[in-house]
Amino acid sequence: MKKLTQREKLFNFGISLLALGAFPLFWFLSQAILFRELTEIVSRNVLVVIGIIVGSSFVFLLFNGMERLIRLAPRERRDSLEARMFAGPSLFMIGLFLFYPAIRTIYLSFKDRYGKSFNGVENYSWAFSDTEMLVTIRNQIVWLVFVVFFTLLIGLIVGWLSDRLNKGEAFFKSIVFMPMAISAVGATAIFKFIYEYRPPPLTQIGIINGIRVSSGEKCSNNRIIEGVLNDYADPSCNRAIGWLQQRDLSNLQIGETLESGGWLSNLLVNFPLNTVLLLVIMIWAYTGFAAVVFSAGIKAIPADIMEAGQIDGASEIRIFLSIVIPYIKSTIIVVGTYMVVTVLKAFDIIYVSTRGDLETNLLAVKMLDEFSKYRNIGRSSTVAVIIFVCVIPIIVGNALREKESNSL
Amino acid sequence: MKKRSIFGLLLILSMVAAACGGGSLEGEEVFITGALVGNDAAGFQENFDSFTEETGIIVSFQGSDNFEQEVQIQMESGDTPDIALWPQPGAVVDAAQRGYLVSLEDLGVDMDEYRASFSSYIVGLGEVDGAHYGGAHAFNLKSIVWYQPAEFEARGYSIPSTWDEMIALADQIVADGMTPFCFGMYSNGASGWLATDWMEDIMLRTGEGTATYDKWVSHDIPFNDPVVKNAATFLSQIMHTEGYVVGGTDAIVSTYFGNAQDPMFEKDANGNPGCFMHRQASFITSFWPEAAQAGAGSETTVFPFPAMDDGLPKAALGAGDMFGVFNDRDATIEVVNYMLSNDFFEAAAQRPDNSRIYGHVDFDTSLYSKDITRVLADTITGALAENAFRFDASDLMPPEVGAGSFWKEMMNLAVEGPGYIDTALNNIETSWP
Amino acid sequence: MTRNNQKWYDKPFTKLILVAIAITWIFPIFGFLLSSFRPPEAIKRTSWWESLYTGEYWTELTLQNYSEVFFAENLSRSFYNSLAITIPSTIIPITIAAFAAYAFAFMDFRGKNFLFMMVVASMIIPLQMSLIPLVQLFKSGIELGGITIIPALDINGTFVATWFAHTGFGLPLATFLLRDFMMGLPRSVIESAKIDGASNMTTFFKLVVPLSISGIAAFATFQFLWVYNDFLVANVFLGVYKPENLVVTSHMSQIVVGLFGEAWHLRLSGAVISMIVPLIVFFSLQRYFIRGLIGGAVKG
Repeated sequence: MKKLTQREKLFNFGISLLALGAFPLFWFLSQAILFRELTEIVSRNVLVVIGIIVGSSFVFLLFNGMERLIRLAPRERRDSLEARMFAGPSLFMIGLFLFYPAIRTIYLSFKDRYGKSFNGVENYSWAFSDTEMLVTIRNQIVWLVFVVFFTLLIGLIVGWLSDRLNKGEAFFKSIVFMPMAISAVGATAIFKFIYEYRPPPLTQIGIINGIRVSSGEKCSNNRIIEGVLNDYADPSCNRAIGWLQQRDLSNLQIGETLESGGWLSNLLVNFPLNTVLLLVIMIWAYTGFAAVVFSAGIKAIPADIMEAGQIDGASEIRIFLSIVIPYIKSTIIVVGTYMVVTVLKAFDIIYVSTRGDLETNLLAVKMLDEFSKYRNIGRSSTVAVIIFVCVIPIIVGNALREKESNSL
Repeated sequence: MKKRSIFGLLLILSMVAAACGGGSLEGEEVFITGALVGNDAAGFQENFDSFTEETGIIVSFQGSDNFEQEVQIQMESGDTPDIALWPQPGAVVDAAQRGYLVSLEDLGVDMDEYRASFSSYIVGLGEVDGAHYGGAHAFNLKSIVWYQPAEFEARGYSIPSTWDEMIALADQIVADGMTPFCFGMYSNGASGWLATDWMEDIMLRTGEGTATYDKWVSHDIPFNDPVVKNAATFLSQIMHTEGYVVGGTDAIVSTYFGNAQDPMFEKDANGNPGCFMHRQASFITSFWPEAAQAGAGSETTVFPFPAMDDGLPKAALGAGDMFGVFNDRDATIEVVNYMLSNDFFEAAAQRPDNSRIYGHVDFDTSLYSKDITRVLADTITGALAENAFRFDASDLMPPEVGAGSFWKEMMNLAVEGPGYIDTALNNIETSWP
Repeated sequence: MTRNNQKWYDKPFTKLILVAIAITWIFPIFGFLLSSFRPPEAIKRTSWWESLYTGEYWTELTLQNYSEVFFAENLSRSFYNSLAITIPSTIIPITIAAFAAYAFAFMDFRGKNFLFMMVVASMIIPLQMSLIPLVQLFKSGIELGGITIIPALDINGTFVATWFAHTGFGLPLATFLLRDFMMGLPRSVIESAKIDGASNMTTFFKLVVPLSISGIAAFATFQFLWVYNDFLVANVFLGVYKPENLVVTSHMSQIVVGLFGEAWHLRLSGAVISMIVPLIVFFSLQRYFIRGLIGGAVKG
């Protein structure tokens, strides 16, 4: 490459700065201000139409203007300048909307409840000593383990088995995948209806409690007609249980059996039932995603490899373990990573079900709780930083793995 | 403080200008937000109908269950409403300390009149550094126990006037093979407040009554003080005595407070209701099944929370909304003055579904649509006049305690049993910031 | 690619497992959907399976819950709002990301790899971390050492704020997915276009965009569903204190969490209504949606 003159260097720098900074800034500000002013003047319908038109085309106009500037550059530099111009708005927005806030949050995490004066690492020592925080961290770990494990496992089963069907593959995958389209708020409403508990003698309308109270001889779900109970369950029958309020198994029969046992059963009796019942919602919602991705991965396995396995007379399970799994290992890792990140960000399910009561909290909800319920900006930021820190090793690990596979 | 006086001057000037201009507020909009939803929200909005007709100021109210979080974000974002109606005075004080609110003094509210119409106790709840930021609004009464007179009569039970009588009655009911109390503490994100209410009612009636209560709220006595422990022991007697509570002790934390009383309205095969007594605030009627709501005040009515110490005057525990003001626009000031006037609540009071009680002492209680509301309103005004009305302690304590450890440890106490009292109180004490 | 040499006994067993899983997955929706057609009182009086068993269910069917939630509760306005937020929030990031993806896929510039790493890394920044600083940014801008970099915009509580927020949050994935897709296009075609002297703009519009339509559709489906189902961003940036600003999810959460009594009839019908749009989008564009997911995940 020919050596650049001072003037050319300056020119390049200037254009790069324009492309990555000034120009996207102008793009962002002009639109924000335009739309803001329009909000006052025009009706909502018009605003939306203008928003769509300007939002999608304004960037072309600016690119056209920029191109004129770039034409002044020496020919061999143009391509790289233009590349920066193209990438500029995207990078600028990512920086402004994700990196800048992240840095600011880290900064705020060292401040007090008002976000005014510094208080050192106090927030961090609180985060790892406060009992509620520790429970929240425990729940986050339980969620990570269960959700990631079961979505991957069931996803693999569905992906693998449905691939072996001659017809109906799409049907099964669609059913499992469908919850992905439903909002977490809707999914939570669905499961709340299943776990619903009402104090006796009211009718149990949640199916789990309904089955529970009516199982056994002389036992039945109460039916109230015109204010009078029609069936009345025998006192020896099972009582309904508020499923989302059970922090452990001590109210279940199995809990009573366990309580008399040794250390293992003591450990088991502390099984966080409500947390697990809540994370089921997420497994329900995300298994389809895993299944669909795995199914694509399995389809990509060359037929001859599979046939070789079958000719060797290996059993189906053996083929699955020794051919399929190794072949789509990288896919499994990627889906797993995606799930880990998603679980760490999980928010809506807890927010609309228990709001974190009775030891069901998760970090993302705790963060908003600290902000709004306890009105503590410093601690809230600290929790956000913890979520972020948890994600970093996973991503770094993934990046290293990819680098390795690229260098091979 | 200098800034403030200049502010005040400008304010007076602008008010003069507004007065001269006359009718210049026509078409101005004032936004109010709060935690009221459903009928309460509709009633609140209706209060402004006549006001809008007179002044031309358009007032719109939006209630949300998620209000506390939303208003917090709105304050950070600067996209605040003009007025917010908080369910806790503590939150108003907090917002004022952060500098988001305009004090009533700066808004030109006549403080003497305000004090006279709502009592200085209430006015004092919104005080920060000598200025007052909280506008009093509607209240509910918590020191009440719901029961059904017909069921009591049929079985020869009489209304307990002391704690011991209540316990004796409860034992009697258990002996008769029925369940005395409905008790449900679950409430998404706020579980435990029902037990803290019980604690507060007991605190008001033990020790030195309101004096101890105030010290407890301001943390002049520690949370694990013997007085508090005593109160917790009384509460535990209700929660943990075998057979006292519908569904057993296990059910207390599982039962959603909103349908906790439903068993009282259902009869079993022998014609016995699911429970006989339910200690819950006056607003609970809005949660009842529709059929039961019609009988509020007659079929299902209240007796006062029983006395515990003869030497103490009768005290009333309550809670309610308090509003804070974000700006001093002329239209906002008009609305604030209207909200503090004694004809503000008229429309809402006449709604058949209203169960909220206006705090203004001169309010015409005959306007209330339901007899029960009138009785409760008189109780509140009476208690306010005698300085025997106290606000829900958990709403006044720092949020780490009032909305955090106090609630949480009460839930734990319900689950763990009486042996946990000391641990619970110690934990709360440690969490006090 | 069917594998015909399966053993005969495998299939019934395979089907059995799949049917079991499918039933488990469909079951939660089943009872929920059925109950939404029952009158409010009946929902609380008897359980839905019992009413099915006794046949009572068929005599009491009603659409009353739906009309109540849709008209009386004004869910219809929230629908409009949801779409008014979702459509621009889907289109704007696509236009920006497509250019960036083109640059990352076909052009060379210094720092390209580093910048792309940053794009990937930004995908993991939890949304929650951005909320408070962004809210403050939209309110009062950014100042650095006394110099105003971004002036006070004061756009909180408007649609504009949500459009930009969703654009910002959607861009990492959009850039990543589209670049990935473009990398899969035949490189020779693009190279030859360049040799023919076509400018980057021309290549982009005439060649790359038409070829990437299904990639764009994949992201669009993904983003549409995400924004439509979003609850947090709308809550924070749009605020809900003006009733005309409610979106379907925030409206639904008011009904679901709703403290007032046991309004199961509204929860059921409201939730079912809120699912209709995403399910239609999902089933009609499933192909693209899945492709988007696979593109994002398999190649990762």
